[in-house]
Amino acid sequence: MSVRPSSWPVIVSYLILIIYTIATFFPFSWAILISLTPITYFDDDGNERGVNIFDWPPKLKLFPKPSAFGASLTLRNYKLIFEVVPLYRRWLLNTVIYAGILTIGNVILNSLGGYAFARLNFPLKNFWFTLFLALMMVPGQVTLIPQYNMLVRFGLINTYAGLFLPKLTSIFGLFMMRQFFLNFPKELEEAARIDGFGILRTYFRIVLPNALPAISALSIYTFLGAWNDFQWPLIIMSSKENYTLTLGLNFFRSSYYTYWQYMMAASIFMTIPMIIIFLSFQKYFVESGKAVAIKG
Amino acid sequence: MKGLRLKYRTKEAIVGYLFAAPVIVSVLVFAIYPIFAAFYYSLTDYQPLEARKFMYVVDPYGALELHTGILREEAGNYTLDELLANFDPIQFVQLDLGVNLDDTEKELVKRYFDSASLISDFREGKLPERLKVSEFMKRYMRAYGHKFSKYVPKFVGLQNFEDIFSDKLFYTSFWNAFLYSLVVVPIQTLLAIILAVAANSKIKGVGFFKAVFFLPAITSSAALSMVFMLLYSKPGVINKILVAIFGKFGFQPIDYLNEPSIALFAIMAMNIWSTAGYFMVTFLAGLQDIPSSIYEAAKIDGANKFQMFWKITMPLLRPQIVFVSIMGTIGCMQVFDQIYFLVRNLRNITISYYIYKNAFEYGKMGYASALAVILFAVILILSLIQRKLIKEQY
Repeated sequence: MSVRPSSWPVIVSYLILIIYTIATFFPFSWAILISLTPITYFDDDGNERGVNIFDWPPKLKLFPKPSAFGASLTLRNYKLIFEVVPLYRRWLLNTVIYAGILTIGNVILNSLGGYAFARLNFPLKNFWFTLFLALMMVPGQVTLIPQYNMLVRFGLINTYAGLFLPKLTSIFGLFMMRQFFLNFPKELEEAARIDGFGILRTYFRIVLPNALPAISALSIYTFLGAWNDFQWPLIIMSSKENYTLTLGLNFFRSSYYTYWQYMMAASIFMTIPMIIIFLSFQKYFVESGKAVAIKG
Repeated sequence: MKGLRLKYRTKEAIVGYLFAAPVIVSVLVFAIYPIFAAFYYSLTDYQPLEARKFMYVVDPYGALELHTGILREEAGNYTLDELLANFDPIQFVQLDLGVNLDDTEKELVKRYFDSASLISDFREGKLPERLKVSEFMKRYMRAYGHKFSKYVPKFVGLQNFEDIFSDKLFYTSFWNAFLYSLVVVPIQTLLAIILAVAANSKIKGVGFFKAVFFLPAITSSAALSMVFMLLYSKPGVINKILVAIFGKFGFQPIDYLNEPSIALFAIMAMNIWSTAGYFMVTFLAGLQDIPSSIYEAAKIDGANKFQMFWKITMPLLRPQIVFVSIMGTIGCMQVFDQIYFLVRNLRNITISYYIYKNAFEYGKMGYASALAVILFAVILILSLIQRKLIKEQY
């Protein structure tokens, strides 16, 4: 069988993509494998033995039972991390609350602001807009220390309020919503005004219900960012009860550094919700990728 | 009619401000003020522990009992003068209340502390049970009580910047961040373009590949760092595979993260791996906007695939390349999470980690702010270069 010359690029393309797919999957698969490997197992004589996850080869078997390193694979580590670190449940709750509040806050406040900057005329609008644009260049490290000191002064260090108050709006989110409202068909709003709708009613009844794609994209973007955030919670939250999952990982790293199985289970565990969100709302991710490209 | 229009305009302005107010207020409080504060801190010796000393809640009874050796219930048995004779305000504030005083503050306490009223409150049981140091001082200083309410860091002028320029770790951490960007940005950009071009060449399953390549981007850098900590460990799987392949050529397992000359490059490799796929989506969107007629015309002119790539694809992707490389550079200059998790040697730290360490571990916030100001300046310059590049484009 001969290959037509014009199909070579396609073959090379497939090759590149498949190799990179393997490269992308490999670290995840290895982490999942280790997370499914028990800490100990019972050998044929009924003696409990430690599993060495650094054994080579890893003795992967699918039959009769999936096993690696001589021990059957199990989901037990995912249960054990909640038992070994009883606070883990709390950390999960903290993370959900933090990401949830940030998402709600950002969606409401940035869409209001975005609409104002896209459609309404108010004094100094251009000044604020230029200022916001300039602020995007300021690295987070500059504002971090004064923000921290401000929260210290208000007694908000190590509290939820301190964690989310400074993050309830974002300039990036504002621009994203503004861009959407700029492209929103003006005719709809004009028709509403002719029907006697005021600005508020037009916004809440006509504009907002039609802004669902932009709101979804912003929600996902915010939720993901908050869920994965590390530096800000690290600085704000000092007591263990207030940790988020990323700080929890840091705790595992410093306290259970020999228990790779737990560390991998904790890492994979906190990634699963993001993968589910990603797979359910994939088109919005791609849209935000495109929006980013247009901005350039 | 004119009046009505004016009314609508006013209404619009009011609603506009109402809508924009949360964002504007938030930006003023959490961005504008902090920027000015950071510049101010960079000229001071701001020390967080000192800053907090007036905010601690103290127990005046306990402190006085400790100081006088007399229990509060028995204080009434002594006269005011008897109690005052054994009372030293500076020692009391410094040792028993636990407030560290500098020389000016000592002088103020010596001159203006109202020992008599404190002691008489103690005798009569009128002392507040618990209160902040600042409130306590306001109450018992005859004058200058406000000096004990707000911490004013010492102004040191450009001292921090002078110190920075003779600080070896500054140069190391800054160079590391720079090197990090210099290596990561071009490779991740090129890799992203290659992946995008491959995905754009009439193949099946583009959606699948896109989804897979996005996976690292949605995973927290904390979790990715943990995974790579395992992969990069000396007995880890990367070494096992490399030994299996290159062992016969004398390859020895490497302790990637503990080897100062290798650690940073290992973290860079992880960063490239985790972001290339994300940026690929950006490029793919750009590629799909290039009309295929351009390629067809080039084909008729006899151009081969490589010529088409360099002469058509790359120039047309320029806006995306500029965007991705500048975003990448800004991100890399500030890399923190991976460094925090994976770096074990001061020689491998980056500037943002050094800022963090100074501010939150060494308690040198003035110095850390000065470092942040320098980082700000560098990123500003990079952003201006970006603008220039984009202007050249259009």
